[in-house]
Amino acid sequence: MSTTSNITTTQETSELNSPDLHLLERPPQVLNNRNPLWVTDAVCSIVEGKTPLWWYAAIAFTGTFAAIGGACILYMICTGVGVWGSNSPCFWAWDITNFIFWVSMAHAGSLISALLFLTRQKWSLSISRAAEAMTVFAIVCAGVYPAIHIGRVWFVWFLFPVPNSYGMWPNFSSPLLWDVFAVTSYLTVSSLFWFAGMIPDLAVLRDRATTKVRKFAYGIVSLGWLGTARQWRHYEMMYVLLAGLTSVLVVTVTTIVASDCATSVVPGWHATIFPFYFMVGAVYSGSAAVLTLLLPLRLIYPQLRDLITPSQLDKVCKLLLLMGSCVGYVYVFELFNAWYSANPFERGAFWERFTGSSAWYAITCLSINLTVPQLFWFKAVRRCLPLVFVLAILCNVGMWFERFMIVTSTLTHDFLPSSWKDFHPTIVDILTATGTLGIFFTLFLLFIRFVPIMSMNELKATLPGAQPHGDAINSNHLAEEAH
Amino acid sequence: MSHHLPKTQGSSGFQGHHLPVAGSKEEPLYAIGARFETPEALVQVVDHLRDQGVSLYECFTPYPVHGLAESMRLPKSVLSLLVLGGGISAVLIALSMELIPSCLIYPLVVDGKPLNLSALPQYIPIIVALTIMIGAVTAVVGMILLGGMPRWNNPMFAWDLFAKDASRGFFLAVEARDRKFSTSALTELLHELGAGDITAIHEEASEGK
Repeated sequence: MSTTSNITTTQETSELNSPDLHLLERPPQVLNNRNPLWVTDAVCSIVEGKTPLWWYAAIAFTGTFAAIGGACILYMICTGVGVWGSNSPCFWAWDITNFIFWVSMAHAGSLISALLFLTRQKWSLSISRAAEAMTVFAIVCAGVYPAIHIGRVWFVWFLFPVPNSYGMWPNFSSPLLWDVFAVTSYLTVSSLFWFAGMIPDLAVLRDRATTKVRKFAYGIVSLGWLGTARQWRHYEMMYVLLAGLTSVLVVTVTTIVASDCATSVVPGWHATIFPFYFMVGAVYSGSAAVLTLLLPLRLIYPQLRDLITPSQLDKVCKLLLLMGSCVGYVYVFELFNAWYSANPFERGAFWERFTGSSAWYAITCLSINLTVPQLFWFKAVRRCLPLVFVLAILCNVGMWFERFMIVTSTLTHDFLPSSWKDFHPTIVDILTATGTLGIFFTLFLLFIRFVPIMSMNELKATLPGAQPHGDAINSNHLAEEAH
Repeated sequence: MSHHLPKTQGSSGFQGHHLPVAGSKEEPLYAIGARFETPEALVQVVDHLRDQGVSLYECFTPYPVHGLAESMRLPKSVLSLLVLGGGISAVLIALSMELIPSCLIYPLVVDGKPLNLSALPQYIPIIVALTIMIGAVTAVVGMILLGGMPRWNNPMFAWDLFAKDASRGFFLAVEARDRKFSTSALTELLHELGAGDITAIHEEASEGK
């Protein structure tokens, strides 16, 4: 008997040490057993150190593009939308393409910070702040277009239900009006989520500030945060609530943006799969954008390598793979649906999309989005960060072409062949688009330089030994309480 | 975790009532402050204070510490109720904003489609968007106001150790206006429980004086 039990014990021990069980262990949130003070120093040093030369060079570069974009917008407002290539029948072109592109990119930020927070995916903690910032800046870029594409921008208030003497009121049954509310609330909520999550960290910067100007500026924005138990009590509750609200908003906003197309009767747009199509595409392009932004940061600031770990980047790559595969599925399904509908217009629209004069958009889009994400099946690819960076940029290029394909290839070929006309962008179109890229990166550079790019309090709360009972639980234990 | 943080000062020898003073000595005493190296120590002290009937005290931590609010007997945050209220009023605002003009003031009839409540689905997207927006604004504004913010000055800032970097430990301040407040008893208790940097925090002299 004793021999048997001995054997069992030995087996159990060996099982515990076996590599299979080791795989189940969660990788550490912060590498190299860093302590809370190190986390504070690592994150604050980016803001507190001397402004590096590359930063000035970079912001001069991106700022120039932003300024040129601004000048183009001004020119467009003074002259009229005729300076763009959009013309009958393609009244929506780069304006709406870029609007959808940016608003979609925003979604991954909200998804990573809100949905992964609610589902207690601790790995997303260190990248969530940067992802939220990306969301806010992408919505700013997206917001540029709806306002200016109406042509006479001084009538932009027509979009809002403002009582007026014209006896005129917006049409509440139009998805275009839903869009106004969706984007406005998305910008408001994501900015609030981003800012409110930053208050405790801004207070740390205030405490550590050495100059009067910094002390004053961070003092004002941190609103007098002290980190009292009462403040944390309300703060945690707010965070759970905001995460819940934002998660719902992510789905709502893409659905509404997709409805802009789907509720029309235009062949190629009139499909019930559109909300899902836009949603997966959004998360796909957003995850790629997160990688594009974080990988250079990690290279420039070596201290971040312990905070943005290879295992976390690996998970973002897997998210990209999942969403990329969903996007691929939708492409195939869309084609199948066009054939299966037996509707000549629907079939014609897709035939034209792949064989017509603008087939190269569709071919670029499909060849990138069907292949590139599939490379992330391989661990070697996911772990090779320079390659991941290049592939992530490619994914976003592919996604831009997807938006362009959806918007223009459909509009240029409607029901009446006599009105078919191709779209050609003008220089103003191109410079406005690069201008939004400039705005996005300028804002992101300012973000890196002036606010903590990671949530220090959340990271510290998950370090081993951070909690009284010896277990590192992340701050969403309130979610449990709420249930 | 204790080895991560710098050692507290003054925990080696009891200094009696000659506490280090922060702020201006001429001004009234605001509180007795102490710093702890671990969250466990802070929670333990809070348990003792509660047993002794001390109620006017506050804990300052660099991140939310589990169990602290429970030890302090803090009630559940009312924020969720406020947000619920905000959300419900948002639904009503959105519905009236859509229905009153559509049905009464300026009916915009497209294709002879109905505009009243039977057309409810078309009003839903804006209701959802507004509900979330107003709910989120309520959550953030509520958190700020319930947390006693914005308040850009605080007597605690007179204490340099705290004001320079509050993220370097777990702080406690027992206010002098507490009914059970006694400098000697409190200092002794804090000392016994391993607190460091026990300091008498006076208010700062105002600039006019």
